[in-house]
Amino acid sequence: MTLISKLYDWVESRLGISEVIQKEMTGYLLPRTINKWYSLGSVLLFAFALQVISGILLLIYYVPDADKAFKSVSVIMNEIPFGWLIRLCHAVGSNLMVATLFLHMFSVLFMGSYKKPRELQWVSGFTLLNLVMGISLTGYLLPWSQLSFWATTVATNSVGAVPVIGEYLVEFVRGGKLVGPPTLGRFFAVHVAILPVVIAGLIGAHLFFLKRTGISAPPTRNNQAATTWQGGAYHYDKHEGGIPFFPNFFLHDMTSISIYFACLLGVVFFSPYLFFTPDSFVPANAFQTPAHIKPEWYFLANYQILKIFPSEIIGLTVQGAGMTFIALLPFVDRGDKRYPLQRPLFMVCAVGGIALFIALSIWGHLS
Amino acid sequence: MKPARISGSMRTLFILTFCLLLSVVPLAAQENTCVQCHGSLPGRYGEPVLLWKTSVHAGNGVYCHECHGGDPKDMTNAMNPSRGFKGVPKQTAIPETCGRCHVGVLKDFMGSAHGKKLGNGGPTCVTCHGNHAIKKASLDLINEKTCTKCHPYERARLMKQAMQATEGRITSLDNRIQTLKLQGKASEGMEQGLFNARNRFHTLFHDVMVEKVRSESTAIDKELETIGAQIDAIEQAEKKRKIAGSVAIAGALLAALFFRLLGKTYDN
Repeated sequence: MTLISKLYDWVESRLGISEVIQKEMTGYLLPRTINKWYSLGSVLLFAFALQVISGILLLIYYVPDADKAFKSVSVIMNEIPFGWLIRLCHAVGSNLMVATLFLHMFSVLFMGSYKKPRELQWVSGFTLLNLVMGISLTGYLLPWSQLSFWATTVATNSVGAVPVIGEYLVEFVRGGKLVGPPTLGRFFAVHVAILPVVIAGLIGAHLFFLKRTGISAPPTRNNQAATTWQGGAYHYDKHEGGIPFFPNFFLHDMTSISIYFACLLGVVFFSPYLFFTPDSFVPANAFQTPAHIKPEWYFLANYQILKIFPSEIIGLTVQGAGMTFIALLPFVDRGDKRYPLQRPLFMVCAVGGIALFIALSIWGHLS
Repeated sequence: MKPARISGSMRTLFILTFCLLLSVVPLAAQENTCVQCHGSLPGRYGEPVLLWKTSVHAGNGVYCHECHGGDPKDMTNAMNPSRGFKGVPKQTAIPETCGRCHVGVLKDFMGSAHGKKLGNGGPTCVTCHGNHAIKKASLDLINEKTCTKCHPYERARLMKQAMQATEGRITSLDNRIQTLKLQGKASEGMEQGLFNARNRFHTLFHDVMVEKVRSESTAIDKELETIGAQIDAIEQAEKKRKIAGSVAIAGALLAALFFRLLGKTYDN
């Protein structure tokens, strides 16, 4: 008996690892009809891990002080070995992560996977999307560039539209009347300490819900893949005769992750400034307003909605109503059918909603 | 009485409009009362602000009070002589006004044929550079239209020819540095080096001596070569990164292919 075998037996006799592997990996069955869209969850886990690792590495040299932040980012980009790579992976990665989250959400929407008994997955997933957008927004200020400064000024201004307490809210978010050093401190703390922990916790909850209900089978025209669950008592979708998670679907996940990573590297190496504007490389100056400050692409629709309506409060209310509707979708759309072509009203609303989002984003970009 | 009432209401309207303007103008303008007030005035009072906004001074954050004096932070006393307000400088005082910042240039100018004619029909700084729409020093300032206002163009043409190659190098390096700057590359050192070389080169404009231009240009060209080499190194590093990136992307795609094929064997 080799040393490794002895060590394995020692651990096995204490923790029963093989049972865990059998139960959670080789014995964890997924529907035989499962498709590539189901890999997006694993891709997002990988993307989040990459953000955490690159973020920790950036923390080594980043200085969260208004006088030093811009310079420290410049040092990371120009002087620290591979600092540019880490920073670009972090900045580009955040954008790709939001894009992948959208794709994940759309796939869940069109396959009707949000329907009972998976309401909690949807709500936790939608909350995660918003938290990721929040962590991206707070991270946007940290380089303390003209773009960071003024985009944050515009974003925090909109909070002022909240009736009665708007002014106090803006001051609370900024730590003063205007965006300044206290804002940087607050955003830094939220970006590196609060939101990552909350997001990690919610990812855990999201996965826990997934494990408890079992994964949904993709719907087809003839087979609705509807759950047999009728409510009342707990039920787990077992997918008897399905494929094991490991190695079968794990390899599908790895394929998708490798493609995602190739896309990330493609942008980092060949179009590294895709998500940067020239104002990203000019230090913040409170006395010089750049001509055209626009938020990140995923906030352009929200930005344009605020501009369309005559008052910001109406714009915020419309957005709030839209977000609430999406968050509560599983409780509104309670039909059993999951195949998209058998849900014409849903298809019109979903495709129209996505088209509206894209149109508003383009309008926001061009306006 | 009626005209007085109208005047009073007009004043109120003006104050209200002004307060509204104050609430929406950008922060920079709030800090500078010259730009704020004159910028909203029509005709000859507002025109200097419009011209200044197109100038190299505006681009570098040099505001009205740097030349005209006064207090740009106090609207009531902005144009009070006790706050250093000088108004429009007399023609003979223009080189001295500009020379407060452009010290070396003042010395060269005063020693030149141009400077020696100051007050006797000779040019001042604004003759070539303009006053509010102040142009960045470049060879374009030496042109037949401007020079022939005072003398034949022949000598100026020779000067321009002698400086053209170096000026072209400076412009090309400047463009390359600006490109790097917009990519977040560390360009401060090169920018400062080019700024110094360009300033030294441009002081030669004011000497109006062809031979001196030729000899000094050789030394300046060497400095430009050093800056060019630094830019080349950064651009080379960028190319190497792209090669490394291609390898990494190919690796990721190969891994994707490998996992896909392995996955298919298990599926079968």
